[in-house]
Amino acid sequence: MALPTEPGSVQEPFPISRVTDRYLIFDVNAIMHARSSHNITGVLTGTIPNLSQQNAFLGIPLQLMPEEARVLVEKGAAYIVDDVNIHDEGFMHMDREARLKFLQEMDEAAWQKSREAQRKAEERTKKALEQKGLEKKSETPESAGLTSDTGAANLFDSPCTPAPPLSRPEKKVDPHFITPTTSYPPLAQPPQTAQPLPVVPRQYPLFRYLHSKGYFMMPGLRFGCHYSAYPGDPLRFHSHFLATGMDWDEEFDWQQIIAGGRLGTRVKKAYLIGGEDPAKKGVEGKESVRVFSIEWAGM
Amino acid sequence: MKPPPRPSPLQSLVADPAQLSTSHLPSLQSLALQVHHNLQYQHSWSALRVHSHSPLTNELLPRPLISGLPTKRLYVHPDEQIELLKQADRRRKAEDKDGGGNNVLDIRTEPEREWLLPTRLGEEWTLHRLSDVFDTISLVPPSAEPEDSASDRPANPWRTTKRVVLATVSPDSTVVYYIVQDELVKPRQN
Repeated sequence: MALPTEPGSVQEPFPISRVTDRYLIFDVNAIMHARSSHNITGVLTGTIPNLSQQNAFLGIPLQLMPEEARVLVEKGAAYIVDDVNIHDEGFMHMDREARLKFLQEMDEAAWQKSREAQRKAEERTKKALEQKGLEKKSETPESAGLTSDTGAANLFDSPCTPAPPLSRPEKKVDPHFITPTTSYPPLAQPPQTAQPLPVVPRQYPLFRYLHSKGYFMMPGLRFGCHYSAYPGDPLRFHSHFLATGMDWDEEFDWQQIIAGGRLGTRVKKAYLIGGEDPAKKGVEGKESVRVFSIEWAGM
Repeated sequence: MKPPPRPSPLQSLVADPAQLSTSHLPSLQSLALQVHHNLQYQHSWSALRVHSHSPLTNELLPRPLISGLPTKRLYVHPDEQIELLKQADRRRKAEDKDGGGNNVLDIRTEPEREWLLPTRLGEEWTLHRLSDVFDTISLVPPSAEPEDSASDRPANPWRTTKRVVLATVSPDSTVVYYIVQDELVKPRQN
């Protein structure tokens, strides 16, 4: 079935689906686009429904942190879609013609797929036989004997032709059944409607600041912080910072800072704390977020 | 009855009324003295100085800060480290060519004066307070004496962000030191 978009041609803003307060991207091209153009990696969460522990290779959808969704929306690169509503309206009120048309398209695609699969299988057989030097003979005496004896070899053949001996019997093609994995199509691209901005935790200003500096953020749970910040794509770089966000007047204990600094130094990173100064918030040309990098002094 | 044990040198130092001024709370001053003592005798720092006023604005600091000179360089920025390694490699190659080289990578760094922020472990701080401390300090601490030899050296061009060595004193008088830098500074390759 057709992809919602062609590779490399993602139209901005692209939709982010909100399902039970989770922000998901279902379009693989939008996922690639978010990663390469907006430094947003998210986490792949798709798995096999009845084998959910098989999680070594997760696929789409990509789940975004609320911060990631918010940053994309604020940049104007994406918009939020209330997926439950869209599905309800789209599918419950789909007219009969559109439904039949879609089913027919599905059938068509299924047949095409199975014919393609069969053609490939035949090619493989032919190639293998050629490699072994065994050209497929049009008829062998043994099989001819078999057919005349029982007819069991022609189980899949059409019953009306009594096995013309010189042509290979054509196998019956079973259709592959396609389970549609996206809703667009059959639904048209969801419209942009006024949706509330994603609700973000209080460390969001730090996220926005680091993102604006070109860092990639991954969830920081593994290092006991809010985000681990990578200077480039996490597939190519080690992270530089273990970032923890705070309110400007939120009290912290030095014990926390020392623990973070020590852990960070241990894993060759710097511990980073930061937050937004409300006095500088919204002031033109001034960065309202201030951060401090912390490392062990080694003495 | 046994006489009470004599106070330790550290205790008599921080309790000495002659050491205290009226600018800050005595508890903060004795904290600064304790860190000063630790730096001087445990880490052999020199040219130590307790600051009560900001060198930038000459206003009273939120708490006394210390500046001093470590025995060797405390912090090398990773980019500076790469440069230093290149220089050392060039020197080694030049010496090898002359025939007198002992094939040792000799990295030359001079110690730099550092700011220190004395704190106690149990204190509650906020980003706001930390930010206020950074706003009052200069990039490099002023030297102890005007004709200090350290001030003759050219400023390190790699030192571009303010940094403070956080000295945290625990109740058992252990002092731990952490480098806190203003803004994003990538980690060292240690």
